[in-house]
Amino acid sequence: MNKEIIKFFKFSKGTILTSIICWFFIFLGGCSRIDHKQSALDPKGLVSQNQYDIFMLSVWITIFLFCAVGGCLLFVLWKYRAKSPEEAMEVPPQSHGNSKIEAFLIVASTVILIILAIPTLQGVVLMNRVPDPNDSETLNKLNLDKSSIEDAITVNVTGKRFFWVFEYPQFGIVTANELVFPASKAIRVNLRTEDVIHSFWLPKLAGKMDLMPGQENFLWFIADQEKILSKMDSDGNPIKSSIEDAMPPVFNGKMREKIFAKQKFTDEFEAVGGLFYGQCAEYCGNSHAYMSFRALAQTDEDFESWVKKYQDAQNPNLQPLEYDPEKEYQSGTVVSFQDDSTGETLTREYTATKSVNKGQAPNLSQAAWKKTHSDDYEIGKKLFSSLQCVQCHAINRTGLGSKGPNLTLFGIRTSLAAGWMRNDEENLSQWLKNSNDVKFGNLMWNGEGVDDSHPLRNLEDDDEKVNQLIAYLLGLK
Amino acid sequence: MATESIKYLSPDTDNKTETKVFPRPDQHAKGIVNWLTTIDHKKIGIMYGVSALFFLLLGGLEALLIRSQLWSHNMEVLTNREYNQMFTMHGTTMVFLVIMPLSAAFFNFIMPLQIGARDVAFPRMNTLSLWCFIAGGIILNLSWFFTGGSPAIGWFGYAPLTDNRFAEVLGDMGPDFWIFSLQVLGVASLLASFNFITTIINMRAPGMTMMRLPVFTWMTLIVSFLIILAFPAITIALVELMFDRTYDTNFYDFLEGGKPHLWQHLFWIFGHPEVYILILPAMGIVSEIIPVFSRKPLFGYGLIVFSGAIIGFMGFAVWSHHMFTTGMGIVATSAFSILTMLIAIPTGVKIFNWIGTMWGGRIRFETPMLFALGFITMFMVGGFTGIMHSSVPIDAQHQDSYFVVAHFHYVLIGGALFGLFAGFYFWIPKLTGKMLNEKLGKFVFTLMFIGFNLTFFPMHYLGMIGQPRRTHSYNEGHGFETWNQIATIGAFILGIGIAIGIYQFITAAFNKKLKSAGKNPWDARTLEWTLSSPVKEYNFARTPIIKSRDQAWENSYGPKENHSEKEPLGDHGVHMPDRSWCPLITSIGLFIFVLGLLFRESIEVSGSYFATPYEVAIGGCSVFVLGIILWALEGPAGYHLFPKENEE
Repeated sequence: MNKEIIKFFKFSKGTILTSIICWFFIFLGGCSRIDHKQSALDPKGLVSQNQYDIFMLSVWITIFLFCAVGGCLLFVLWKYRAKSPEEAMEVPPQSHGNSKIEAFLIVASTVILIILAIPTLQGVVLMNRVPDPNDSETLNKLNLDKSSIEDAITVNVTGKRFFWVFEYPQFGIVTANELVFPASKAIRVNLRTEDVIHSFWLPKLAGKMDLMPGQENFLWFIADQEKILSKMDSDGNPIKSSIEDAMPPVFNGKMREKIFAKQKFTDEFEAVGGLFYGQCAEYCGNSHAYMSFRALAQTDEDFESWVKKYQDAQNPNLQPLEYDPEKEYQSGTVVSFQDDSTGETLTREYTATKSVNKGQAPNLSQAAWKKTHSDDYEIGKKLFSSLQCVQCHAINRTGLGSKGPNLTLFGIRTSLAAGWMRNDEENLSQWLKNSNDVKFGNLMWNGEGVDDSHPLRNLEDDDEKVNQLIAYLLGLK
Repeated sequence: MATESIKYLSPDTDNKTETKVFPRPDQHAKGIVNWLTTIDHKKIGIMYGVSALFFLLLGGLEALLIRSQLWSHNMEVLTNREYNQMFTMHGTTMVFLVIMPLSAAFFNFIMPLQIGARDVAFPRMNTLSLWCFIAGGIILNLSWFFTGGSPAIGWFGYAPLTDNRFAEVLGDMGPDFWIFSLQVLGVASLLASFNFITTIINMRAPGMTMMRLPVFTWMTLIVSFLIILAFPAITIALVELMFDRTYDTNFYDFLEGGKPHLWQHLFWIFGHPEVYILILPAMGIVSEIIPVFSRKPLFGYGLIVFSGAIIGFMGFAVWSHHMFTTGMGIVATSAFSILTMLIAIPTGVKIFNWIGTMWGGRIRFETPMLFALGFITMFMVGGFTGIMHSSVPIDAQHQDSYFVVAHFHYVLIGGALFGLFAGFYFWIPKLTGKMLNEKLGKFVFTLMFIGFNLTFFPMHYLGMIGQPRRTHSYNEGHGFETWNQIATIGAFILGIGIAIGIYQFITAAFNKKLKSAGKNPWDARTLEWTLSSPVKEYNFARTPIIKSRDQAWENSYGPKENHSEKEPLGDHGVHMPDRSWCPLITSIGLFIFVLGLLFRESIEVSGSYFATPYEVAIGGCSVFVLGIILWALEGPAGYHLFPKENEE
């Protein structure tokens, strides 16, 4: 009995020690680098920084409490352990409690909770209300410019199973799965859903808010350009990158090039500071895991250029007109014209290379016109209609009611399939051939009215058509 | 047999015994009939425990499949729908079919012994509660075999995902099985709770005042009140959901003007007290074990009881902290945030008092104590992360991430399950009369403690670096792989530990090599330890007269005036109620009735028409009503036992 009791004791001491050591290493190992792509521990905006600060306050409070209470527990276990079987049978004084100690501990816990409650309540207000631009006191406290609030950008987010619609009501444009925003401005995000509950989670910028059916929810964020520019090198040391490196322009495809060039998709840490990863955080059905998105930070000028380009693309009045033999055209004008230059009769686009006289119809031999796009692009464009893609996807129009993601300017997007893969030829080909293999249960493959006779489901062995579609889609830039 | 028995011949029930409306097995029934017709709270407790341990293995298997799928990025152990079914079934099983019935097993077995009662107030109702629980468990798991398979809606079943409109499999029946099994399980919980409340209020031995009740019995009482107050909310929610699915009503269907918010409020008004329903029994168990292995009375008994009651009461005032991200506005989120912080105080009080109990004691580190200490440390971690979640801005990042998964597993495994395992190691000697193997017990504890922390501690970190919950897969390049692999390894270690533990409990009844326990092997303090192990079918040969709070301890070490006395045995001896088939018949009727309500198409047997669902429902309902009528007619009846003078 004697030995047994001593053995019991050693056993538990060993267990406790091992677990403490385990925890220590887990904690230490985890903390070496925390700026993962979707990490809430690497805040890059005002709201998320506030959330992070309160979190760290709570971490320190609880570590203190754990050490205090846990240390007390260890001390008691050590001091009052039964050292021998005889001692284990002793009857210690039978005390029943001490109301003074208990009262003191209750008051102490209350005080600790108040320490956490105050920043919590301030944080609730900050999360829910964009500061008043005329309230200079608050703006100073938060270190915000008046203009960054006054010129806030509004984005209406609509969640659908399983992708995101981003509408910019101030500019009349619609995009999907990639939220482009100016780093210096507050972004008001209105959240709606057309089917089940989703949750918009952008860890580095905003925390999360649910998209509730039949209700419009709201969150806002503002990025911090300094923080976007500062990042860590491979050893975890902070370094500073330039605006060109961190926030290359989206509108001309530089962002896409830079991201593709700088790192592999599988790298754990993001090399381009202006690229943010987001995710649906409320279980919404089979493919909930696949419902991610991106947010791309821009300088003010680049954001304006992106908006302009998008507005032009989605402006019905700026689409190329049909060639009119009664008109003269200036150099650079684009017209649509029906011919059989691709081997079949279809309407394609021509660009005037110089001033064109009346009646000088697009004809490549005259060198007055050139093809705006490659033959593959033009055939792909036609396939996009004939294969019924157009029934669900809007291109060069806002198409707010359409079933699938808007694909306007798809060629400058960095990601594909709601942020699931990199938007390059290889991935796009895989996606078009059998999207169900990539994201089982996705809407494109399984949506209403799509069955085995649907042309989409018969692209698997048709490399030619797939390549033409790719040429078209990635040519949209 | 040492005990003589004669037929119960009291004049007022004499006639009923003679006019047998339904044959009742007599007291000596053996084998399966013994278990099917028993109304003995101890046997019911054992059946609750064994079935819950079976479901624990089932839910654990589901958990291991989930962990295997998350081993690395884009794994294909399960398809996305299968994965979603797994986490739905894992959650529902663990909450309703494991932790709650395990607690119910202890309530059943221990509580009457602790208050000096011969059985619960309504023994046959107790049996009905057991069979309803088993029927509910079967209904839930039958879903695997029908259209759509098991529900893939999460254990929280958030509307409108449960609506037919958004079903991802045509004619998906999973949610229907889920709705009806929860309703039947609700019936089981309510029956048991009313029974326990009545028992504790009315059937305490003389001198067992409320403030002399063992803390475990106090927690039984509080949890029973929580159940009867919380379950109506989910019952209403589920009825409305059933109407939405079956009759196209618009409670939650937002396209027709319904409110998905309504579901969340109703669900969490039930769901948050449910959290305390799961944890308070374990706290009660730990409050019994720590004094025994410190050889000191509980520090601040009154405060522990009071804080248990406060936790129960405030549990109804904090439900919306599950909904901080649903857009409730500044005022509501702030209010619920502060209330949630306040509930940390009574919880902290309990931990302080447990440490206070050990202070100045003589601490023995035997298996129940190790599990109790594991409970305190792990529950502390879970409680601290809970305080973090009470802060809305922190919750905006944590909600629906793996951080939350870590938090509630620290509370429900590190807390509730460790507490319940402590209870098993503590009370099984009372149940079987034999000591469990200490070495194996410590081995189980070590495996569980290490496995558990390996599994769930990394999840805090995973949540912070952005892994969302309820996702069947994650993409490359987020850095989730390593930590998920550690978690998966830990889960298997934990699983092995639990499996060995269950093996140890089940074989305890048959293992001949185990040492005999005697009446009070731990030198424990409460009334059940004054009885022989295993406990006789009548519990107390003579009703004890209670003189103090820790009666077993006082009998050994207290002054003479604190020793309990015994009431003399009357001329009638001990009146024992007869066995009955009626609870089983009633629950089978309910089971068939529910299946009839569940199906929408005619049932065919080997190709030919058998019955419409309505016919099945009416048939089941008839059996159900018949069972109740027979039950009323047969009366308690019973027989008398005459224990010898020296028997306990």
